[in-house]
Amino acid sequence: MDRPRRRSGVLIAPRLLVAGAVAWTLAAARADTVTVPLRVLRWTAPGAEVVRILTRRPVECLAVPADPEAAYRVEVGRAAFRDPLLLGGQAARAGIACESCHRNGRTNPDFAFPGLSGAPGTADVTSFVFSTHRGDHVDDPRPIPDLGGPKVRLKVDQSPASPALGTFIHGLVVEEFEGAEPPPGVLEGLAAYVRALNPAACADGGAGGGFERVTAAAAIADVLRAAAARAALAHRDGPVALAMIQAARAQLGDLAEHFDGRALTAERQRLTHASFELAYIADAVRRTDPGADRRLAAWLRRAPAWRAALLNAEPRSLYDKGRVETALSGGQAPAPSSQPRVR
Amino acid sequence: MAVLRLSHTFRLPNAVVWGLIAASTPLGAAVASGGGGGMGGGMSAPMSPSMSTPQYDPAQEYRDGMAAYQAGKFKDAARSFDHVTQAAPGEVNGWRMLGLARGGNNDAKGAAKALERALKIDPKAVDTRRDYALALAQMKQGDKASAQLDMLKSRAAQCNDTCPEAADLKSAISQVEAALKPPNSAATGPAASIAPSGSLLSAAAGDGAYVEAVSLINEHRYGDALVALDRASAAFGPHPDILTYRGYVWRKLGRLDKAEQYYRAALAIAPWHRGATEYYGELKVIEGDVAGARTMLAKLERQCAFGCADAEDLRRWIDHGGDPAS
Repeated sequence: MDRPRRRSGVLIAPRLLVAGAVAWTLAAARADTVTVPLRVLRWTAPGAEVVRILTRRPVECLAVPADPEAAYRVEVGRAAFRDPLLLGGQAARAGIACESCHRNGRTNPDFAFPGLSGAPGTADVTSFVFSTHRGDHVDDPRPIPDLGGPKVRLKVDQSPASPALGTFIHGLVVEEFEGAEPPPGVLEGLAAYVRALNPAACADGGAGGGFERVTAAAAIADVLRAAAARAALAHRDGPVALAMIQAARAQLGDLAEHFDGRALTAERQRLTHASFELAYIADAVRRTDPGADRRLAAWLRRAPAWRAALLNAEPRSLYDKGRVETALSGGQAPAPSSQPRVR
Repeated sequence: MAVLRLSHTFRLPNAVVWGLIAASTPLGAAVASGGGGGMGGGMSAPMSPSMSTPQYDPAQEYRDGMAAYQAGKFKDAARSFDHVTQAAPGEVNGWRMLGLARGGNNDAKGAAKALERALKIDPKAVDTRRDYALALAQMKQGDKASAQLDMLKSRAAQCNDTCPEAADLKSAISQVEAALKPPNSAATGPAASIAPSGSLLSAAAGDGAYVEAVSLINEHRYGDALVALDRASAAFGPHPDILTYRGYVWRKLGRLDKAEQYYRAALAIAPWHRGATEYYGELKVIEGDVAGARTMLAKLERQCAFGCADAEDLRRWIDHGGDPAS
């Protein structure tokens, strides 16, 4: 491995404009190669197999505990793990979540972010790009670990008796990524989720991991799982409920990106509407309005309608491999045979 | 001058006429597009004449102008920079580049007017004063050019070779003196003209200046950061990110009035700029204008359909009554 080298410039991260600088850099680096408006491409290495990355992902090796309380904590952590707003600061503004480096709780060999990565699949956790706390002016990106791999390969003790994992995650959120202080329940949830990632939960034992298709159905399931917010309300834990609702909104945003283009305006509007409804519910939670749970329940009852509409439109979305290939080639994605012809 | 005559059979309301004109001209295309760069929105509704004043994306116009200038297409460059100055009249680089482009197009009078405006905004800019003097010399206005030369010499005397711009002053004085010499004098070379392309920044250099500014801000070297932001602005023009960061620096320097000026300038160019909206909201919290901060938060909430960090950070500021990190 190369010796750590001193950074050529001190890139410390006041919130707004580093995001701007990154955006410029990305525009310069990727504009000629990427025409798909998906945030994941912001942190995908140049030259990576974009079609594969957008259409396939590693299987999540998650052993959900049988105990309902333990399972609840895992669900809280699972949702927060996928929410950029957990991290705050520049990462949140770039759309980066824990899951960006650890796809489906695993690793991401294609991750590359300007100023943060060296070779694809590496990140410098002591970089000033995202942190004013942990920057050390030394460019030493390390391989992103597979959280779904064998625990012995991970540097942090994950045993439930040890506080090391919680301390590590807290430092990562607050110092490494400049996020706001997370609610205790969210921190507990993140630790529970990471502990529940286990190679034994994967069909092939996690050795290399299997892969699965990236689908709208799975994304919608993630939205609805984030509605563990109801359980948080039952636990009278408003801050966790808010975090879960926000995670659900972020997942809706991820879905909306995939339903790109004028032909899918109606689907995006459904998603936007669903997200704004959640925003109103979040306001109710902030006000400790006792009606928040009832509203959330009603929101969940309405979900099948927009879910069905999205699944129906999925072949026209960027969940479809053919559409992705066409979009990446710079062409207008062809209308699928199921789409009505317009004179 | 030709007069547009409408049909005898019916008259269109003025607003519609203006809309049609707007839609049928290059100028109108810019109006109808509503600009890029995150400005969003368009103008689909009929406009009254007072509403149909040109609206450009000055950052894009600046980029176009720079590209044209560097390609030697000074007339096109002047048109783009003219749009920049219309959309962002307080942006010094727009006026300066308009002056340079007009100079390149052999329009010394136009160049002088634009450079004079630039000097009103930034009287200390050595390059601009030099170019203004050169334009005046080209117009045979020796007295006025000499007055500018005297100002440069006065600065140089005060500087006494110790200030950062000492070399620039020396060079500027030399160029203006050469331009003011009579044609038949024993000049050692041709008189300087307004074509200082060497001082123009590429986009890459602008990025570098921008990152340097970020670094300097984090080192709390705010004065130096403003200089670096000026250089970034020379490459990118009135970019809302740069304007927002200028506002941030002035806020850190305790000049809330100037901070607000820059946030408002950023939002004038890009009304939905999240960072400017958030920072402007934070400024309002500092000033005790919680209602104003809540207005900014509501604006962010409307545009962040799926939530965003900018809104959440501003919410924390409002809840905390100030910087939550303090």
